[in-house]
Amino acid sequence: MISFILMVNKQGQTRLSSYYEWLDMQERVALESEIIRKCMSRSELQCSFVQYRGYKVIYRRYASLFFIVGTKTDVDLRKSIASSSAKKKPSSSSSDSGGGGGGGKQGRYDKAYVENHENELGLLEFIHCLVETMDRWAGSICELDIMYQLEQVHFLLDEMVMNGYVVETNKSNILRPIDLMDRESKKNEGMFR
Amino acid sequence: MSLKLRDLIRQVRACKTAAEERAVIAKESAMIRTAIREEQEHYRHRNVAKLLFMHMLGYPTHFGQLECMKLVASPHFPEKRIGYLGMMLLLSEQADVLMLATNSLKNDLNNDNKFIAGLALCAIGNLATADMSRDLTPEVDKHLGSSKPYLRKKACLAMSRCLTKCPDMIEDFVERIVSLLNDRSHGVLITVVQLMTQVLVMDRKEYFENGGDEDGGEYDSPCRTAFLRLVPSLVKLLRNLLSMGYSPDHDVGGISDPFLQVQILTLLRLLGSGNVKASEEMNDVLAQVATNTETSKNAGNAILYECVQTIMAVESDDGLRVLAVNILGRFLLNRDNNIRYVALNTLARCIAESGGGGGAVAEGGGGDGEDGAANTAASALQRHRTTVVDCLKDPDISIRQRALELIYHLVNQENVETLTAELLNYLVLCPREHRSDICTRVLRVVDRFSPDDRWRVDTLITMLTIAGRECAPNVQSSTAVYISRSSEDLRAYSTHKLLKAVRDDDGSQRGLLNVGIWCIGEYGDLLLRPYSYNLPSGNGGGESAIDLSGLSAGESTTLVTFEPLEPTAVVGIVEAVVARHTCPLEVKQRGLTCFTKLRERFADVADGATLDRLQALVKKYEDSHSLELQLRSCEYGALMNAIKGVSVKRGSNGGEEDIFGGGSSVSESVSPTVVSAAKEALARMPVVDIKLMQRKREERSGAMTEGDIFNGGSNDAAVARAPKSSAAGAEPNLLDLDDIFGGSTASATSSVAKQNGSSSAPSQPSDVDLLSDIFSAPPAAAPAVAAAPAVGGFDIFSQPPVAMAATPINTNDLFAPQPASTTPVASTNSSAAVMDLFGTTPSPTLIPAQPASSVPSTSEVIVPGFTHQGLTVEFKCTKPDTWNKQNSVLVAKFINTTNEPLYGLHLQVAVPKYVTMEMKPPTSTTIPVSIAGGSSGKEVTQTISVTNTMLGTKNLMLKVKASFTSKGTKVEHMTTCSGFPAGQY
Repeated sequence: MISFILMVNKQGQTRLSSYYEWLDMQERVALESEIIRKCMSRSELQCSFVQYRGYKVIYRRYASLFFIVGTKTDVDLRKSIASSSAKKKPSSSSSDSGGGGGGGKQGRYDKAYVENHENELGLLEFIHCLVETMDRWAGSICELDIMYQLEQVHFLLDEMVMNGYVVETNKSNILRPIDLMDRESKKNEGMFR
Repeated sequence: MSLKLRDLIRQVRACKTAAEERAVIAKESAMIRTAIREEQEHYRHRNVAKLLFMHMLGYPTHFGQLECMKLVASPHFPEKRIGYLGMMLLLSEQADVLMLATNSLKNDLNNDNKFIAGLALCAIGNLATADMSRDLTPEVDKHLGSSKPYLRKKACLAMSRCLTKCPDMIEDFVERIVSLLNDRSHGVLITVVQLMTQVLVMDRKEYFENGGDEDGGEYDSPCRTAFLRLVPSLVKLLRNLLSMGYSPDHDVGGISDPFLQVQILTLLRLLGSGNVKASEEMNDVLAQVATNTETSKNAGNAILYECVQTIMAVESDDGLRVLAVNILGRFLLNRDNNIRYVALNTLARCIAESGGGGGAVAEGGGGDGEDGAANTAASALQRHRTTVVDCLKDPDISIRQRALELIYHLVNQENVETLTAELLNYLVLCPREHRSDICTRVLRVVDRFSPDDRWRVDTLITMLTIAGRECAPNVQSSTAVYISRSSEDLRAYSTHKLLKAVRDDDGSQRGLLNVGIWCIGEYGDLLLRPYSYNLPSGNGGGESAIDLSGLSAGESTTLVTFEPLEPTAVVGIVEAVVARHTCPLEVKQRGLTCFTKLRERFADVADGATLDRLQALVKKYEDSHSLELQLRSCEYGALMNAIKGVSVKRGSNGGEEDIFGGGSSVSESVSPTVVSAAKEALARMPVVDIKLMQRKREERSGAMTEGDIFNGGSNDAAVARAPKSSAAGAEPNLLDLDDIFGGSTASATSSVAKQNGSSSAPSQPSDVDLLSDIFSAPPAAAPAVAAAPAVGGFDIFSQPPVAMAATPINTNDLFAPQPASTTPVASTNSSAAVMDLFGTTPSPTLIPAQPASSVPSTSEVIVPGFTHQGLTVEFKCTKPDTWNKQNSVLVAKFINTTNEPLYGLHLQVAVPKYVTMEMKPPTSTTIPVSIAGGSSGKEVTQTISVTNTMLGTKNLMLKVKASFTSKGTKVEHMTTCSGFPAGQY
């Protein structure tokens, strides 16, 4: 699954961030600034993948804007599953069944069994799909469009990704509902911005 | 009134500094808080939109959480929409307010408007908790069967979230999931395939957590069985995608829906692994994907990449595997770095998985891989070796790291020389922080595949020349071990080479200096002879890695020659290193040992000036600020003097001696035994027996944890030096010395400490108490020592500095324990052999200080108890455990000197608080008349075990009360026994 999607400009200012697993505010700020620094230090010819703190970062640059997708690396995912099932135990114990069972047995998972299935090249393609969709939506999208219509971009992103999984990649399927909803909203416009 | 969102963004953009921005945000936050408090409904959703912006910038927004909840409940769509967005972005799954939303979510799920229901599904998919999942699953399930694809696809992922939170619900929904696979919308298909993948992963995890078989790829569960039945329809789906031709809806670069294809391949991988039937079913379509996919665009490569992974993971036939490996080979040659990256990544993973996954270097080139995939992947790798090696030179660090990882798997007997040369080349270029890791890996490779000793030593020395600064201590120590284990010829070669390297180094390659100086000290005499060797071509022998890699194919042999060196030159080089002000302490310590040893090596060949210079160099550190250096300097000085025949002049340095009451400095001539012992101490170190050492180390780490042994031992050893010295006392110690040199092991060394301890007999209790206070440091050192063996590898050097505590050298006596507590620091870096030398040297220096009245600790001592009215009691004292001197066994022997038997014997013993005691019953309560001149075999004894916890400071004392009936009268007698040898019991 995708752990986060970022759009960061060349100055290192985040223009959009969407996390599909919870991170503290300080962690987010640190993560974003370090990742963008890593991405900016790389040339066009170098590959689009960077390993960073247990994340496999896939990035692509469009003009002055970096589109960054992070996903967990295989090994760390194994750990996180083990720890999340451990964490989950107290919360699910309030309901009747035992949920995930003991979490401390991560040694038992074979690496072939619990791995991150994300395909780096596929994610790269997905970034392109996202950009094309945004392009069609706003007609040649630019950094400021994203900044001033932050919530709109989020709506668009929510049509494409949910909980870190791809929902839809067909541009018209994504944009049609967005248009309809926007029209719906315009009816009682007024204080929206 | 607060700002409009647009104005806020504008203001933030106008800010020149971060402080300005913070001020703007702080002001706006305050406004929003006020608005929230005053319940300004009208601006609510505008405020939340602003909070989203602030959240993105990294400012706290927690106060807006409840506002989101209120907006979600709003009847107006725009408000509801922004409310949901705020909820998804601002709230964590753990937030308590989230449960407030459950009811709104339920209402919205049941709303007729598909957009409202879609928002609710999206929110569930992003942050449903386990409780919410349970409450809302029926509604989500209803939408799975909705007539609108817009809701079906969202419901799929919402369901995926719910099932992840509550895995026990999986079974109920398997059937529903299955029916969705026939959907026509690609959005629904891609989500349902992801849902199935997710469910399978969960299910498998569940299965293994509940004690499923670990190693078998095959497992059964209702849901997997159900999904396995779907393999044909998945295959059909994939085939349809392939043969669909151009469809504008889903086309990406001429390929129809690559995203869906990738997801299907992922799912097939999970289903096919370990299942022959499913693998057979997907075999054809995998071949079709692998051959027909267009590779000119990234999308096509993404599919191929996924397909290769699937082929490698499932039970596919060999032809298919070869196809996959060839695709990877093509990827490796691709100009696009992204593609090379994934190729390297996949190859490494394939080999690691098929190579047993034990973390060891995989057996390449058709080794023991029982799996066909291992062989094909490995052999393909060997074919592409040069390509992989070229990737090491790539400017991109991501590629280099991947290639490095892969090369470790590539190494085998045949290519080890070229590949190691490449690794060393890379070592020169790579960032500092990676060097240590690479060194360790090279060591492992060299250790395993090295064709001969010369090459091995050569490579390691070259590596130290490049990365001596960064390499781990075990690399240094292993190099030293390899050199010491090699032939004399090779030692000469290494030492010559190291000397050159040390001379040319700028003093920063610590590891090189450590090993180099150690070798120069050990094998300094070999440097005085010329050395030449005919090297077969291409085998290295150059001074740098570049030379090593250059395969000089032209010549058949290379002649390596080293000029003989003058002793003065050798000393000069080492001196120059040690004299550098940047020279680290550990190198200086080694330098000192080196000087001492060189003094011995050159004793016959060098002129007097050089020898004096060496001695002066050692002496220079007698007043060093570093206690370690000072201590060594003094010890070595004493050693060298001993060899020259001059006895140690004790007390020459003044007053400390008096504390111990041993102020009478002795200066008699040194006996031949001492001289030979000293010579022995400076002789070459014995070759390390790795197996023996590993065994000993295990034993030691067990014993070390006791800690108190050394506590007791070292305290006493320091005391041991107080009594007058005598050459006769050297005898038992020489035996120990032999032990040390025979095994060079810790246990031998520590036994020295123990023996010293047990043989000491201080007579002044006040001094003893004083000492025990002063010496209370060592116990702290002991655990640190115990930690030392944790440093892996076969480092001879993590020898415990325990014996250090026992080093009794004149002026340092008071402080002796302090070096002991600092040395563990040195030894945990398990630095070079000096540690060992140090462990052993104290013994010879001890010799003059050995008490004459030393009693062998193993022998028994007979202590008279008392004699009263015809009953004589003697205690026969022994030490049951060699490892714990605190324990003693006293066997009370009862002797009846009357002419009639004594009846009703009853012995009571009381001990001081620091002693614990356990008594066994006497062998008999009747004591027969003892026959003079020996017992008749009917001796009456009683065994008492005592443990003196303050051994060395306080002596064993017994209060004895005996009662018996002698000639009809009852006799009681009470007395105190304190005649036990002091310091031992």
